[in-house]
Amino acid sequence: MSWNPESKLNGVAVLLGVVAVWEIASRTEVVNPLFVPPMSKILRSFFTLVAAGDIPAQILTSMKRAAAGYLLAAAVFIPLGVALGLFKKIRRMLEIVIEMARPIPPPVVVPVAMLLFGLGDGMKVFVIFFSCAWPILLNTLDGVKNVDRVLIYTARTFGVSRGRLVTEVILPAASPQIATGLRISLGITLILVVISEMVGSSDGIGYFILDSQRRFKVDQMYAGMLSLALLGYLLNIIFLLATNTLLSWHRGMTSEEK
Amino acid sequence: MSLSRRINAPGLATFAVLLFLWEVSARLNPVMGAYLPPASRIVQSLFQLAFSRELFTHLIVTLGRFLAGYLLAAMIAVALGIVLGYFRRAYNLCEIVIELLRPMPSVAIIPVAILMLGIGNATIVAVTVYACAWPILINTIDGVRNIDRMLLDTGRTFGLGRWRILRAIALPAALPYIVTGLRVSLSIALILVTTGEMVVGSSGLGFFILDEERSLRTGNMYAGIALVSFLGYALNRLFVWLDATAMKWHRGMTAREAL
Repeated sequence: MSWNPESKLNGVAVLLGVVAVWEIASRTEVVNPLFVPPMSKILRSFFTLVAAGDIPAQILTSMKRAAAGYLLAAAVFIPLGVALGLFKKIRRMLEIVIEMARPIPPPVVVPVAMLLFGLGDGMKVFVIFFSCAWPILLNTLDGVKNVDRVLIYTARTFGVSRGRLVTEVILPAASPQIATGLRISLGITLILVVISEMVGSSDGIGYFILDSQRRFKVDQMYAGMLSLALLGYLLNIIFLLATNTLLSWHRGMTSEEK
Repeated sequence: MSLSRRINAPGLATFAVLLFLWEVSARLNPVMGAYLPPASRIVQSLFQLAFSRELFTHLIVTLGRFLAGYLLAAMIAVALGIVLGYFRRAYNLCEIVIELLRPMPSVAIIPVAILMLGIGNATIVAVTVYACAWPILINTIDGVRNIDRMLLDTGRTFGLGRWRILRAIALPAALPYIVTGLRVSLSIALILVTTGEMVVGSSGLGFFILDEERSLRTGNMYAGIALVSFLGYALNRLFVWLDATAMKWHRGMTAREAL
């Protein structure tokens, strides 16, 4: 069997190589093992923390906050985006306010939220809600605005009522772009829950990582990061599976049109 | 006609009404005023701070970190992206490592950076570089992959070396994708700089905003937020302008091709 340069297994080999170099460099103290503990130690710490329930508990706390802020943002800003996309007058009215609020970098909302809600869950939910608002709102607006006019005219010709026009024509036609907004927001949610837990919290995975660093439990810190990477990866896959299933009809229709 | 259409009267009216409601309710209700001072007070704070050296220094510090992180990320990620996009084998080798690191929220590396680089400029810049590099890298790889094969083959036919092809054909042809990545990273850079300043900084606008909140000087806090937002807005505008000026040739070329 000869070496195949195109094989995907090479990637696995590289990964194993990186891990091996990490392990050896740390054990032989080429790099300071206080800062970069051996991979085996990090993994052991990870599995211990998962088995003991520490990491799952922290992740659950963070996920509750993330879900609350994310779902709240979706519930508020998808309808608002539809309204803005449908009615030019409302769009013109809110345009300047949106343009003024949009450039606010989400992390600087954390102090405001701390002022308004204290250090509890409300603060994190608000921060996530605020930062998810723009991708969801603007993508929904764009999607609705760009719905094929022929679809709308056809529905009108058939005497479809306004309410049914929105739920049965416009929302489905705009759904891929709404999904894009939701997907971008998913990544933002994860970032902001970590930020808000680092700046003002006493639990959650963001706090756990920073706290482990401050107590110099470095292997725990890396274990926490590993769990966050896995979480991000999982969430992305779940989202892709969900949208693929929910939107498969859309792909079928649009490719047929071609 | 054109002027009245360009000036968004209903938009301005809504803005004015909201501003008025905010001002009145904050003045009438002192409890609310403590959390959300009247808009006039915030503007006043902004003016007072503008004449003190303090805020200006914070602004310069933040801008410096932003530029350092953003530009470094751009250089590293574009170079790496071109190599990984052009050489399929190189990408295959790195794919798994990339896919493992990418989904981790970038802010999670702040503690590692603190551990290795201490609490100061280096940590904030390093974290910014890390976070900004991803969108640029992924877009550059995509851009190089989607280059018209004919362009590359033409280059080869004319006997250009690999290096010349990368520099003279691949880079310009992938530029629209690279610009998209750079644009996404622009707002990410500001997010990471302000976050870094909140967590480890002792200067910069992120630090200033958090510090004013802790000292309950809410007027100053909102003034800082307004300034950061303006900074983000201005940087974005600058980017759009640079893009429009620098990429004119590309639009011209692709438009001609369409004919």
